[in-house]
Amino acid sequence: MAGENAAWQLEDFVDSVVVDLDKTRETLAVKAINKPLTYTVKELSLDLNIFPTYDGDRVRFTTAQPGQQGASKVSIQLGSITDQQVRATTKVPEAGGVSIDDIGIDNSTKKQLRKLGVQSADDLQRVEKKNVDLKRVSDADIDYRSLANQIQKAQRNTAPPMVHSVSLSHDTETPALLVNGTRLAVNPRFSPVAVINDQLAEVLSFDDGHVRIALPSADDLERPLELVLTCDPFAVFKVNVTAEGNRHGPETSR
Amino acid sequence: MDPAFLPFADAVAEMLAFRGEIVDEETGVRSHITQCTIELPIELEVSRGESGALVLGSAPPIYYVDTSYRPSYHRIRVTAVQDSAPTAHHEARDGR
Repeated sequence: MAGENAAWQLEDFVDSVVVDLDKTRETLAVKAINKPLTYTVKELSLDLNIFPTYDGDRVRFTTAQPGQQGASKVSIQLGSITDQQVRATTKVPEAGGVSIDDIGIDNSTKKQLRKLGVQSADDLQRVEKKNVDLKRVSDADIDYRSLANQIQKAQRNTAPPMVHSVSLSHDTETPALLVNGTRLAVNPRFSPVAVINDQLAEVLSFDDGHVRIALPSADDLERPLELVLTCDPFAVFKVNVTAEGNRHGPETSR
Repeated sequence: MDPAFLPFADAVAEMLAFRGEIVDEETGVRSHITQCTIELPIELEVSRGESGALVLGSAPPIYYVDTSYRPSYHRIRVTAVQDSAPTAHHEARDGR
């Protein structure tokens, strides 16, 4: 006698059936090597006796077992689809794209967004371009600006800044600190801001690979420096620099 | 999975493991089954595997007589088509 049936959601069940049908197709494909006349599943339908439950959030089904009376019935029909149809109806996740699962928003908002068919940051931007009032259609307190910030934060988390070295530069009359690294300035709407020993310092030049910061005074070279560099609102790091013996160590905080 | 049940994929593959050719040597007629639909009651066992994915086990009804302990018969209908149509003759690409 089989054990208790597991409760399932429709999506999980259909996924399992599809996986099983794929396995069947593979078995039949191997068989076709030696036996030219084979068959492939065109349609499959299942009439299931089930007990549905609703926990206020999701509907789950438990398949009826022998001896269990009073079950409901659900019919599932699966038809075969062509590769072309799959390509036409399936959106391939873009490389570097941000899923709403990666965004630091509460589960309730995620649920509301999924109900609206929004699965990624790109989906959200498409909805925003149509000037849709999310608050009205979702009955939830969803705000584009706060979501956009969360998305930028998530994107920055996947591509954080890296500091390779910090050196003193005397190329020009003004002594400067040269920070070398990668992904230091990736936000075109934001210029890096530097603070040395609690004083705002001028950023002379910057790009993705370097930031050149003017030292406020020559005296600064005599004592350890604490540089706090804000690359953008989601990437801030602190570097302690000691001029003697080239001792310096980055301490990054984001 | 309970040993009385077959994985769903195997069950469907077994259902389609029939000889799709009917040959009458006397009259020299050879027929192919091009499509078939199988509908039958089945018992299902739904459990979760180690990965958390659902594992479907299925078994056709075992008993042929009425018992006081009735299985829950779900119903499956599979329509299968021939994988590739038999070629009676080979046609050249230019239609000859």
